[in-house]
Order: sequence, then C-alpha cells, then structure tokens
Amino acid sequence: MPSLILSTAARYLLPLLLLFSVFLLLRGHDEPGGGFVGGLVGAAAFVLVGIAAGVDQARRLLRVDPRAALAAGLLLAVASGLPGVALGRPFLTGWWVTLPVAGGAKLGTPLLFDLAVYLVVLGAALTIVFALMEE
Amino acid sequence: MIAAVASGFALALAAPWIVRRAPAHAGWMLALAPAAMTAYLAAQVPAVAAGSIATAATAWIPTLGIALSFRLDGLSLLFGLLITGVGAVVTVYAGGYLAGHPQLGRFFASLFLFMASMLGLVLADDLIAMFVFWELTSVSSYLLIGFDHDRAEARSAALQALLVTAGGGLVLLTGLLLLGQVGGTFAVSALIAHAEAVRGHVLYLPVLVLILVGAFTKSAQVPFHFWLPSAMEAPTPVSAYLHSATMVKAGVYLLARLAPVLGGTTVWTALVLPVGAATMLVGALLALRQTDLKRILAYSTVSALGALTALIGAGTPAAVEAAMVFLLAHALYKGALFLVAGAVDHETGMRDVSRVGGLRRAMPLTAAAAGLAALSMAGLPPALGFLAKELLYEAVWPGPGGAAWALGVVVVASAALVAVAGIAGVEPFAGPAHPTPRTPHEAPPSLLVGPALLAGLGLAVGLAPVWTAQPLVASAAGATLGAPVTLALKLWHGFTPALGLSVLTVLAGATLYATRSVLRRDAAWLDRAGRLGPAAWYDWAMRALLAAARDQTRLLQSGYLRTYLLVVVGTTVAVTGYALATRVGVRLPTALGDVRSYEWVLAAAILLAALGAVRAPSRLAAVAALGAVGYGIAVVFILYGAPDLAMTQFAVETLTVILFVLVLYRMPRFARYSGTAARVRDALVATAAGGLMTLLLLAATGFSLERRVSAYYAESSVPLAGGRNVVNVILVDFRALDTLGEITVLAIAGVGVYALMRLRARTR
Amino acid sequence: MIAEMVAALPAAPIVVPLVTAILLLAGPRPRAQRLLGLAGSVVSLAAAAALVAATRRGEVLPIQAGGWPAPYGITLVADALAALMVLIASLIGLVALLYTIGARRDDRFVHAGWQFLLAGINWAFLTGDIFNLYVAYEVMLVASYFLLTHGTSRAQAREAFTYVAINLVASMFFLFAVALTYSATGTLNMAHLAERVPAAPVAPVRAAAVLFFLAFGIKAAVFPLFFWLPHAYAIPRAGIAAFFGGLLTKVGVYSLFRVFTVVFPGQLDGVLLWVAAGTMLLGVLGALAQDDIRRILSFHIISQVGYMVMGLGLASQLGVAGGLFYVLHHIVVKSGLILVGGAIEETHRTGRLDRLGGLARTNGPLALVFLLCALSLAGVPPMSGFFAKLLLIRAGLEAGQPWIVAVSVLVSVLTLLSMLKIYSGAFWGAGSPPRAPARLVAPAAALAAITLLVGLGAQGLYGLASTAAGHLTAPAAYVSTVLRK
Repeated sequence: MPSLILSTAARYLLPLLLLFSVFLLLRGHDEPGGGFVGGLVGAAAFVLVGIAAGVDQARRLLRVDPRAALAAGLLLAVASGLPGVALGRPFLTGWWVTLPVAGGAKLGTPLLFDLAVYLVVLGAALTIVFALMEE
Repeated sequence: MIAAVASGFALALAAPWIVRRAPAHAGWMLALAPAAMTAYLAAQVPAVAAGSIATAATAWIPTLGIALSFRLDGLSLLFGLLITGVGAVVTVYAGGYLAGHPQLGRFFASLFLFMASMLGLVLADDLIAMFVFWELTSVSSYLLIGFDHDRAEARSAALQALLVTAGGGLVLLTGLLLLGQVGGTFAVSALIAHAEAVRGHVLYLPVLVLILVGAFTKSAQVPFHFWLPSAMEAPTPVSAYLHSATMVKAGVYLLARLAPVLGGTTVWTALVLPVGAATMLVGALLALRQTDLKRILAYSTVSALGALTALIGAGTPAAVEAAMVFLLAHALYKGALFLVAGAVDHETGMRDVSRVGGLRRAMPLTAAAAGLAALSMAGLPPALGFLAKELLYEAVWPGPGGAAWALGVVVVASAALVAVAGIAGVEPFAGPAHPTPRTPHEAPPSLLVGPALLAGLGLAVGLAPVWTAQPLVASAAGATLGAPVTLALKLWHGFTPALGLSVLTVLAGATLYATRSVLRRDAAWLDRAGRLGPAAWYDWAMRALLAAARDQTRLLQSGYLRTYLLVVVGTTVAVTGYALATRVGVRLPTALGDVRSYEWVLAAAILLAALGAVRAPSRLAAVAALGAVGYGIAVVFILYGAPDLAMTQFAVETLTVILFVLVLYRMPRFARYSGTAARVRDALVATAAGGLMTLLLLAATGFSLERRVSAYYAESSVPLAGGRNVVNVILVDFRALDTLGEITVLAIAGVGVYALMRLRARTR
Repeated sequence: MIAEMVAALPAAPIVVPLVTAILLLAGPRPRAQRLLGLAGSVVSLAAAAALVAATRRGEVLPIQAGGWPAPYGITLVADALAALMVLIASLIGLVALLYTIGARRDDRFVHAGWQFLLAGINWAFLTGDIFNLYVAYEVMLVASYFLLTHGTSRAQAREAFTYVAINLVASMFFLFAVALTYSATGTLNMAHLAERVPAAPVAPVRAAAVLFFLAFGIKAAVFPLFFWLPHAYAIPRAGIAAFFGGLLTKVGVYSLFRVFTVVFPGQLDGVLLWVAAGTMLLGVLGALAQDDIRRILSFHIISQVGYMVMGLGLASQLGVAGGLFYVLHHIVVKSGLILVGGAIEETHRTGRLDRLGGLARTNGPLALVFLLCALSLAGVPPMSGFFAKLLLIRAGLEAGQPWIVAVSVLVSVLTLLSMLKIYSGAFWGAGSPPRAPARLVAPAAALAAITLLVGLGAQGLYGLASTAAGHLTAPAAYVSTVLRK
C-alpha cells in the first residue's frame, strides 16, 4: 500500500516537522506555540511516516515506545510542581533560574511543565494512532 | 439496666458457639441467662411498687438530643418480667423442640437478639432509643418467621410481617420525631411534664395518628391484623414468645407508655377504643372458624390485643387496671397453649384440631397443662383469666369510660373466646383418639416444663393475687395512668353485674363449643368475607406495585441511546427555556454591531459545512465536513487574534480526521435507520438546542471586560510569570493545574485505547 | 518540614494516586503492581484521614496552586466536606481494590485506571475552581470509561458506549455553563463567584445554574435524567462496579451540594424537592421490576440519590447535614452490597434470583453482611442508614414539608421490600450452594462493620456532617479564607 512518493516525502518531511515542533515548544512561552501544539505537530510527523511507510517504520524511527513518552511526560509534569513544595510554596509554584549563557536565558519549572505537555500529547496521540493502525 | 440489655445482645452473639459446644443441653444452659434476669427483675418489684424508679443513661447523639436512657417503672417491670420469664421458658422449650436442627445456633442468636431488643424497648426512656429496639424486634421476628425458609409460605409470611411492622415503624418514627419537635424532648419522663402543651398543640392530631399507626401495625389491630396469623409459619416457640406473649404487645406497651402524654383526650378515645373493640370482635369470630391449632391461637391473640388496646383507649383507671391484669393473664395462658400446641404437633406430626383427639391418654401431663391454661382463657375461676374478665366487664359497664356498644362487643367476643379455649385446650385431648402421622407419647421434660409452669402460674396468681401479681400490676397501671392506683385483686367480688355477665359468657361459649362442627361446616361465608379483607388488599397492592414497576421500567429503560439523548437534550431545552422565560426573560442585543463581509462569508461556510455533515451520504463525507467546520473555527481564531488556538485547532482537526479514517472502515455499513418523521423531530430538537445556546451566549456577552480575572493575566504575565505569550503562561503557570488534568485525560485515553485494542486482539 | 507537609496535605489525595498511576503505567511485574496499587490506596486513605482530622473543627485549608493568589490561580480547598468525601472515596477505593485483587480480576491496566480514577474523584472534591472541577470530571470520566470497558465482552463494550455518549453530553452542558458563568461574572473561583453572582446579570446566571444542574444531575442520575445508569453500572465486574456505584454518582451529588449552596444559593428553590421525590420513587420502582441482584442494586443507586437531593432541597443546616450523612452512609452500604453481589456472582456464575437459593444455609457470614448492608440501606436501626433517614425526616418536618417526608417513608418501605426480595430469593430457599471464599467476603464485611459502627456512634459522623453543612449553608468563612480576606 505505501506509495513511493508519499514515503519519500515523509522521509524528508519528518526531520523538518520534528524541528518545527521543537521550535514551537521552545518559543511557546513568549510567542505563539507551546507544548500542546508542538506535541501535536510532532505526532503528525510520525503519523505521516506511519501512513506512508507503515507503523513498524514509524516505531523504529521514534525509537521509544510512545507509551513511555506518555508516562515520562506525565511524571515530569507532576515533578515540575514539586520544587515549589520543597521550598515551602504551594504545589506547581514556578521556580526560575537564570543561566549564565548568552543574554541570560531563563530556565524554569513552567518550561519543564511545557515539555511534559509536549511529551504527553505526542505519546498519547501516537499510542492511539499506532494501536489503531496495527490492528 | 444497660448491662442487662447489653448482655442480651452478647448472648445473641455467643449462642451459636454455645450450641456448637453443647448441642444437647444448649436450651437449658442458655435459659439460665433470662432466668437470672427474671430473678433480678423480680427482686425489684417491692422497690418499684413502693414508687421508686431506677434510671440509667449514657449519651448517644447529644447534639440531636438523643440519649441511651433507661427507666424502670411499674409498666417496664411488668413487661420486663414477661420478656425474661417467658423467654427463659421458651428457651428451654426450643432446645427440645428443635433438638438436632442444624441451624439451632442461628435460631438462638435471633431469639436472643429479639429478647435483648424487646427488653431495651420496654426499658428505654428515650423515644428514639426505644424506636431502635422496636425495629430490631421486627427484624428478629422476620428472621424467626422465616426460619424454615425452604417453604415459600414461611418466606412470604416473614416478608409480610416485616413489611407491615417496619412500614408502620417508619410511620411511628415520623410521629415520634414530630412529638419530639412538639414537646421539645425525646425523653418520655420529660414529655409527661409537658403533656398539656403537647395535647393542646396544633400538631397533636398528626402526632397521635402517626404514632397510632405504628402501634396498631405492631399489635396487629384491624386492618393490619392479617400479618399475625400468617406469622404462624414460625416455629412454635417463636409463636408462643414473640407473636403472643411479648412482641405483639409492644404496640400496647407504646400506647400505655404514651397515654400520660397523648391520652385522656376525646380524640384518643375516639381513635383507639373503636379500633381495639373491632379487633377484639374480628379476632374472636375468625378464631372460631379455624381448625389449625396455631391459627386458632393466633386469631384469639388478635382478639386479646384488641381488648388491651380498647381498654387503654378507654383510659379510665378501671380500664387500665383491667388491661394490666388481662395482659399478664393472657401472656401466661396463651404462652402455655402455644407451647402445648407445639408439643401436640411435635408428638403427632399434625395440629388440625378436627383430626387429632383423645390425646389425654398418651399425653396426660400436657393435657393437664392445656386444661389449666384453657380454664384461664375461658375466664373461669379460680384462674387469673377469671379475674381479668371480671375487671374487663367492670371497666366497660355503662358509666364513665364504658358504653353499651362496647359491653356488647366484649360479651360477644368473650363468649367466642370461651369456645376457642375449648377448641384449643380441650378438643385435642378429649374424645376418641384418631390415627396421626406419628404415634404420640408424653412430651419430654423440656417441652413439658414450659406449659406446666406458665399454666400453673396462671392458677397460682388467680388463687393468691394479692401476694403475687397485685403490687406489680398496680404499679404498672399507675405508670400508665400517671397517678398511683390502689388495686385490690380478689376472686370473689360478690354478686355483681360482672359475675352475671361471666356466667352468661361461659354458657354462650359452651354452646358455641358444642356446635363447633356445625360452625365449621356452615359458616363458610366468613371465609368469603375474609377474601375481601386486608390480606387480600395486601396481595392486590403487591401485584399492582410489581405491574407498575414493570411498566415504568419498560417505558423508561428502552436501551436506545438515541431515545436517551433525545430526552436529555429535550429536557435541557425545555427546562432552561422555561427557567428563562418564566423567571427572567431574555433581552437580546438588538444590533449585531460591526460585522465585516468576510466574517459573513466565514460564518456561512461553517454553517454549510455543518449542514453537509448532517446530510452527508457516507461517513467519510460527514467526517470531511466536520473537519471543514473545525478548520472554519480555526480561521475564526486567526481573525480574532488567537494564533495559539488556531494552530492547535488545525493540528487537532487534522489528527481527528486521521483517527476517524482509521476507525471508519471497522464500522458496519452506513445506513439510514430512521424515517422522515423521526429525522424532522431530531432536527427540531437539535435546532432548538442550538438556538437556545446561541441566545444564551448573546445574552451573556457585555459583562465588563476589565473586571474579569483575565485582565490580571494580561497585566502579570510578563512581570510576574516571565512570559510574553499570555495563553501559554495561563496554560503552564497561572492555571497549570487545569493543564495537568487535561494531559492526564490524554494519557488515560491513550492507554485506554491501547488496552482495549490489545485485549481485543488477544481475545480474537 | 512538618509545617510544609501540613500545608501540602490537601494536594496529597490527588498527587499520591496520580503518581502511583503513572508508575503503574511503566508496567512492573504483577506482584509489584498489586503492592503499588495497594500502597497508593493506603497512603491516599491515610492522607484523607489526616485531612479530616485537620478540618473537623471547621477549619478551611486552601492551597493556591502555582502560588498565584485567589481568584487568579486555581485554589484547592480542603474543608470538612471535601475532607470527608476524600476519606470515603479513598476508603472505598481501597476496599473495592482488595475485593478486585481477591477476585483475581486485577491487571496492570486495572490498577493504573483505578488510581487515575481515584485521583480524579479526589480532585473533584478538593478543587475550589469551577473550571478545574470540569477538568477533574474529565479525568474521572475518561478513567471510568477505561475501567468500564476493560475486560468486558463486545456487547458490554457497546453498552458502555451509551454511558460515554450521555456523559459527553453532560460534559458539554457543564462546559457551556462554565462559559456562561465566566462571561457573566468574570471569574471561575467558587468563593469569588459566591461574592459576584448576586450582582451578576440575572439571565445568564439563571441559565448557567440550570445547565449546571442538568450536567450534575445527569452524573448523579436524578429524575428525569437517570435512565442511562442501571445498564451501565451492571456492565463491569463487581469490584469496579462497587467503586463506580458507590462513588461516581456521588461526585455529581457532591457538586450539586457545593455549587447550589456556595455559588448559586436558592436558584433551584422548589424544584429540588420534586426532583428528589421523582428520583426516589422511579428508582425504587425500577428496582422492584428487576430479578438480578446487581441490576436491583443499580436501580437503588438512583432511588437513594433522591434522598440526598431531598436533604439539599430542604436547605436548612440540618437538612444539608442529613443529605451529606446520607451520601457518606450510602457510599459505604451500596459498595458493600455490590461486593456481596459480586461474591455471589463469582461463586455461582449468576446473579439471577431465580437461579439462586439457600445461601444463608452455607454462607452464614455473607448472609449477615448482606443483611446489615441491606437493612441499613432501607433505614433500619441501629445501622447508619437509620440515622441518615432520621435526620432527613426530622429536617423535612421542621421545614414544614410533610409530603416529601411521606414520599421518603413510602420509598423506604419499598426499598425494604426490594432488599428482602434479594434475601428471600438468594439467601433463603432450598439448596446447599458452595461457600464463597473469605477473600471475596471480607471486603464487604469490613463495609458492613463500618455501617454498624457509624450507626452505633452516630454522633461522630453527624458532628462532621454538621460542620461540613455549616460551610455550605453559611459560606462566609469558606469564602473569606479562600480569598484571604
């Protein structure tokens, strides 16, 4: 069933789409984007591969089981809320550090939370799509 | 007192164990406890008769004014002695009657549960505590009636008895709560102090009626009497104990207990006396027709309960004194006769009086006990029953508290009961012997000691009432009347009208007894009348209830999702529309404001796509149309400056369409199931729902934007949360908890689909 | 450190099962799954108990999630009501899980779904934000769809679809009501709403109130929106059904109590008692028409919800306290009954009354457990159900609404009838059926013991319910604590 044109296109589109999804994730705190839409775009990339070249190929390229991404993401989301608690602040309180790199890039638990969203969305979407495709 | 009640419950728990350890002697061993309690209570008689009242209390639900408070006065003591005394006798009896029964332990557990509850009932001063014990007696009665649960009759009789008594119990509870509200306390002793206020309260009548329903159901008054004869499915010791000597008297007890609070009014007498009298008459007449020994006794018990109720309803000192003496007399002779009936059943294998006879030769001691008890029941001297009947006649003799019609009822009923005493106590033992399924022998000691003791007591008290029962009965009557009474019990009153009536009664009763076979043959109309009675109403109500239940379930539980959805959406439209139309009215914004041409085009496109989804000829087309709706909404987001939402919407729509496509080819072939009418109806409901939502949204806009909490987000996003994209900051910081929830939803959905598919794959 | 732990305590009943569920997704060995699932349930229960202890005198413990002040962030609020609900949820979560393990019906997915569901339920009880409540509902419902369809046949999965569809509609109403509320008041925090609703435009507030009622009413299965429930709750295995039947509808009831006292007081005056009467009557009539233990019990869920709504409809502190007492009591008893039904089904492969009989002869303990729970359900003393009814009857009389008292008494008698129908059909009669193993009976026995003890010591639970009701009928303290005024 896989068509040659589609599978070739998918092979080149995958890295582009993945890059775009990570880009969306990283800029999300200041510009339109974020973990949710980033995760969806990432998932779309692998779905494309799945349609074009089969689920096995998509799974090979993903390297990890999507369910692992899902679980890890959810765990990360909860964990990102804990530093605040350790500091005596309420659950999910943001905790920021300024990195000593170019321009003083900030890193904070809300960004980790966004990453967690990305992972869960990617993992959940792919878990469902792969399960449906495989049967 | 608390210890006495509690030890009863402890005994209920221990009984199965004791039975397992010593099955042969369990009855004798277990009887020691109630016997000891009888002795303890008997020792209190002098003090109580002298007017001292023992109390004991412990807090239970203080904020609701409910306490576990107990109070031992004359009335409680009389009942307490009956409960423990007859209890001891019945325990011994049951040990023999049910010897070797595999469920004997459970039987005794239920029996002691009852005994403890009944004791708690008569000792409790707090009405709610009393009610708790009241219901427990009903439950233990249920378990005991249904003890032989292999038989369908036993099961349905148990159910009937519990439904009537527990249903009446709930009505009673309502009455008691209302009484507590009216009187400001649940303690009977305190309520008596407020009796005037209670009787004058506007809610007095509801309180009285509710409580009477409870008492009447428990004490098997007309029209609730039908459960008691059915309850004869219980093993005979249970019938003797619960359904004759004690539990069924709980209603009478309640009336006596609350008489100082609620009694003494015209309404009280007008409600209680006629019901009691009717019950007395109905019970006595129906008893005549029976041939099953236990049912004869059951109906005569109904009659006796009616007499007691009527006397307390009359409420004069003479009536109350008569009631207390009669109560004692009845418990003794009826208990004895039931136990005799059990012995006859046990020895012959049957209990139809028309088919057993001449047992005096095989069972002389049992016959003697039966004869003594029948003597008392017939009201012949020198038994206690004679005293009771004399007092009864004196109480209803026309004058204060008495009335000619009441006297007539009592005479007729008493005459019938004389005959019934003969049928139950004499007929099985007299005349020629008949062949029976088992060859009768004298009953073993355990079955003999009970009837002999009870019948003997009836005789002893009758012979020497002053030394035995008088102080007890007098103080019980005093507690009921709310004032001390001086009572002189004696066998010989002189030539009074009562004595004359007694002679008349006995003669009439003897005539009835002599013609009993004619009655059995020719009074079949009584049976036909019975078929129109309350027992038939009960059956009819049960059938009607089931039919109604089936019909409404068939109507409401169609199982069709489309029907359910129609109801849900239809209800929503109707209720919301009604609430708005009747209560507030909706004012719509008259001008739509500034709408640009491309916005019109977009709106039209979305609408068209939605219509397309509805009219689509295939699933794939419908999915595509829905996708178009989604993309259209994404465009709306773009136009109104929400790029994040737009992007997400695009991505979600795309993935959704892919998912749909993956799912679609697994589904059955697309077909139209509903006709045009149904589709029009659905379209109308859907349009109404959509229209309502639109109206609501239009009505809701216009709230000042500055006061919304979102204004805070816009201000604080950069300075406090370090992000310029407010939407994202809301998602990952301000309202991160929402997002955590939503990604949890996603995760569960992902795993759920995986699990479902994998399991299907494995089961195939 | 201690102070921080106490401050974080209200989040524990959500976070503990959530983390447990995530760890379970990693797929440890069966033995470890069991231990992990049990550990999560036990720790949740302990946290819930601590929370009840910390709120029993009327304390209100808020957590401003993310450190954002109310009403801007999301507030989790533990008051006596939330703490009690969390306690009962964690208790049933543990007991029903023990049964499921005892019945050998647990696997990795069951354990994970179980903890997700517990997290969602606790979340719904603890949140103080109306949109966050919607989110909690979603967590709960998607977890319940998961458990409902897990390990069932194709036909049953199809029946579960009805449940999903109806609940999606309810969620839609819920979301729409939240949107209306926000557009009319500009806030989502319930305490803040309590302040703003009185001054908000009447029409959208009224519409939102009605939609909230319908959304919660569908979940709580009140008249006339209950028809989906009996089939759905008869689908899953008894352990899961006990968790569902006891708790899920009660989240809807809880929401009715919270929202229609604190946020929209008086918006449903006069309606609630009629809804209560209809729910009681039609539910019990439905039960009378059934011949299968689990189906009878499913219909009783509906009927009993009517009593709870009656308490809310009476609107006095006594009435609301009675309603809450009823909720807590009912969850214990209903779960216990479903577990008894499950023990029978597991042992005899059927729950139909015409195929059962004589269980009392061979299954004495099971019969006792059933009787305690069944009589408690019907309101027979001294079990907890009696006091629940006593409070409601008293509140009804004091409120001058004798007709609803009459309905409730009638329904009690019919409930008794229907419970005895089970006893008579399954436990009495001829036959010597095999004995259900102790691992199936013990969980229900624990619940039967609880209903008895709660009844004997009714002051304890009544005191707590009364405190909880106080926060609802007079929410000033709740509002000011949450908003830090």
